[in-house]
Amino acid sequence: MSNYVVLNPATHQNTHVLTDRGEAQGDSIQYALTYPLEFRNIQACYPIFFSKSSETGEFFPIALFGFEKNENLFLDKAGWNASYIPMMVERQPFLIGYQGSSEDDLKPIVSIDMDSPKISQDQGQPLFEEQAQPSEYLKKVMTKLESLHHGHEHNKGFIAALTAADLLEPFTLKITLDNGSTNQLIGFYTINENKLLELDGATLADFNTKGYLQPIYMAVASYARIRALIDKKNALLK
Amino acid sequence: MKNSINRIVIIGGGTAGWLSAAIIAAEHSIEKNLSSGDHNVKLCVVESPDIPTIGVGEGTWPSMRSTLKKIGIAETDFFRECNASFKQGTQFHNWTYGKNDTYTHPFTAPHNFNETNLAPHWQEVREKVNFADAVCPQSPLFNKKLAPKNIATPEYAFHVNYGYHLDAGKFAELLRRHCVEKLGVEAISANVTTINSAENGDISSISTDTQNEIVGDLFIDCSGSNALLLGEHYGIPLVNKSQFLFNNSALAAQIPYQDPEDPIQSATLSTAQSAGWIWDIGLSTRRGIGHTYSSDHTTEEGAHAELLDYIATTAGEAAAAGASIRKIAFDPGHREKFWHKNCVAIGMSSGFIEPLEASALVLVELSAAMIAEQLPANRKIMDLVAKRFNDKFLYRWDRIVDFLKLHYVLTQRTDAEYWVDNCQPSTIPESLQELIDIWQYQPPWHCDSDQIDEMFPSASFQYILYGMDFKTEINPMQRRSDREAGKRAMALFTDNAKRTEQLMALLPTNRELINKIYKYGFQKI
Repeated sequence: MSNYVVLNPATHQNTHVLTDRGEAQGDSIQYALTYPLEFRNIQACYPIFFSKSSETGEFFPIALFGFEKNENLFLDKAGWNASYIPMMVERQPFLIGYQGSSEDDLKPIVSIDMDSPKISQDQGQPLFEEQAQPSEYLKKVMTKLESLHHGHEHNKGFIAALTAADLLEPFTLKITLDNGSTNQLIGFYTINENKLLELDGATLADFNTKGYLQPIYMAVASYARIRALIDKKNALLK
Repeated sequence: MKNSINRIVIIGGGTAGWLSAAIIAAEHSIEKNLSSGDHNVKLCVVESPDIPTIGVGEGTWPSMRSTLKKIGIAETDFFRECNASFKQGTQFHNWTYGKNDTYTHPFTAPHNFNETNLAPHWQEVREKVNFADAVCPQSPLFNKKLAPKNIATPEYAFHVNYGYHLDAGKFAELLRRHCVEKLGVEAISANVTTINSAENGDISSISTDTQNEIVGDLFIDCSGSNALLLGEHYGIPLVNKSQFLFNNSALAAQIPYQDPEDPIQSATLSTAQSAGWIWDIGLSTRRGIGHTYSSDHTTEEGAHAELLDYIATTAGEAAAAGASIRKIAFDPGHREKFWHKNCVAIGMSSGFIEPLEASALVLVELSAAMIAEQLPANRKIMDLVAKRFNDKFLYRWDRIVDFLKLHYVLTQRTDAEYWVDNCQPSTIPESLQELIDIWQYQPPWHCDSDQIDEMFPSASFQYILYGMDFKTEINPMQRRSDREAGKRAMALFTDNAKRTEQLMALLPTNRELINKIYKYGFQKI
């Protein structure tokens, strides 16, 4: 379970965050949320699919790391073996929210999950320097959290556009591994490429203006990464 | 002489009129202006600004899901605009003994129903578990007021089958807007003044108080129980069914929830009274509660008192004191035929029998769907289509009478004349009596259905019969397949129990889900 509390120098003066990655740090995850503003980097490493929130039924894009629950094929002894790590993974164990009396007067509120395995009292990166000044590490985290927030807002419009144009479709991925066993991936959604090809000029122009067109094709291109994921899984079987 | 059927005129703008318009318009390509030689259809609905709609008929069958989908209405819009909720079946109280007894008729058929008849196997365990709970995961959900799906389930899809409870007035309004804005249907606000005849006896046009003559090739009478065209103009009489089904009056009320977040029932509640029964329908915003009864067995005052008592018990004294109660009288029965010349009646104009098992809206769906599908290409074949239509719907009305009557003849109640009279052999249709005779020795199964699109499948008969403690003496003569079948049945019972448990853990309450529909909506996929 998570235990998020608002970050403040008094309480978290001695709190450190472990930045190395591995099973013990809670990185054995099958997928993580992503958003269109980082699709370019994501598709270089991971397949991008869409999943539905069980709480709201709303779609969100995900980067896939494995074929089973708690399977992350990018983790090895050295850590997370990929050129890019999704922002939603990077942000752990922090969360950002905004609070204020009006839209123009919003202040970022950063929370930290004190039950995360990444929390330490003496190892890793400190959050605060002397005199309660934020550390270099925390400053970087703040920048990331802000771009994450913007990415999240942009994603809402992106998803609304995809569903309005009926561009998502459910799919089932069946893979047969070298040892003959089969894995089935269900519950995910992909871009319907036939529908994509049938989009009219006005919709395409609209998507392009809003910055949705490029990530759609990034997602389509990312399916080529499934092969690499299968290869990783096969390598584990040897 | 032009005799193709292009111009359809619907008289009456209640639920029946607009639902029929939507079903036909969704099937055919509708054009506002017909040019000669066009294969398109022009469809208009003439609605009177002066006649209020009846606005009962707040329960649907699961068929409404596919109807709405076909019409092209998003389920989210339907929920938000019609104050709709999920109906997963009916829960009957006091029908068998009048002593706090309860049984359910869920919409989901018994487990593995197409292949296995669990009813004979249930007879061996009937002392331990009631029929519905043994064969279907749905009725345990009723007690916890759980929904048939969750927010991540696509629109119109489900874990367990469902129809709806809805606000009939708002539903007609949504359909009207959808018809006019999306389906090319024309809405004409006018009162019909004269019905004009052609030489062959067809209706050639109608005159109204606000418009020029409205000419049509096919007229659909959705004008309500007076049946302006089929009844008043053509004089097609009503076939009275009150010798079988006694209820001919209803008192209806709308009762607010005590707290807006009060739980919403998963089923229509039907509670037997001394000379009728009370319906209790939970919408998202209010309850619709009414008493339908036989005026030959009780007085209006008596029925009124029982209704107020029910409201006071279930919603508080204040709700009972503040209830505004509307009286509706009806002749239980249907027209001798429904399609005559170039006029066909849908809805109350075709007939009405008490609301038990909510057959009114489903008949509108079925009638309009058959017209949409069989829309005669020309006048010449219209009489043949009309004959088919009449045969089919006379058969359906008879089945409705049989099925509704079944609920009454199985009662053990002798505390009121109404229940005793209902069991008199002279009040039981012969076709129903034959079925009951057979069911004493074999449970209902697929062979009991004469037609492929039977309104009430044998599953429904099973739920009512065994819900009301009907005894079927299974023939002790062993069949070759018995041993194997018994084992399989026990596995299915276990399977059902497991599935029930999973669903109980998985499904949200109706209220939780409806709040999420308001907030997030359903996805299409």
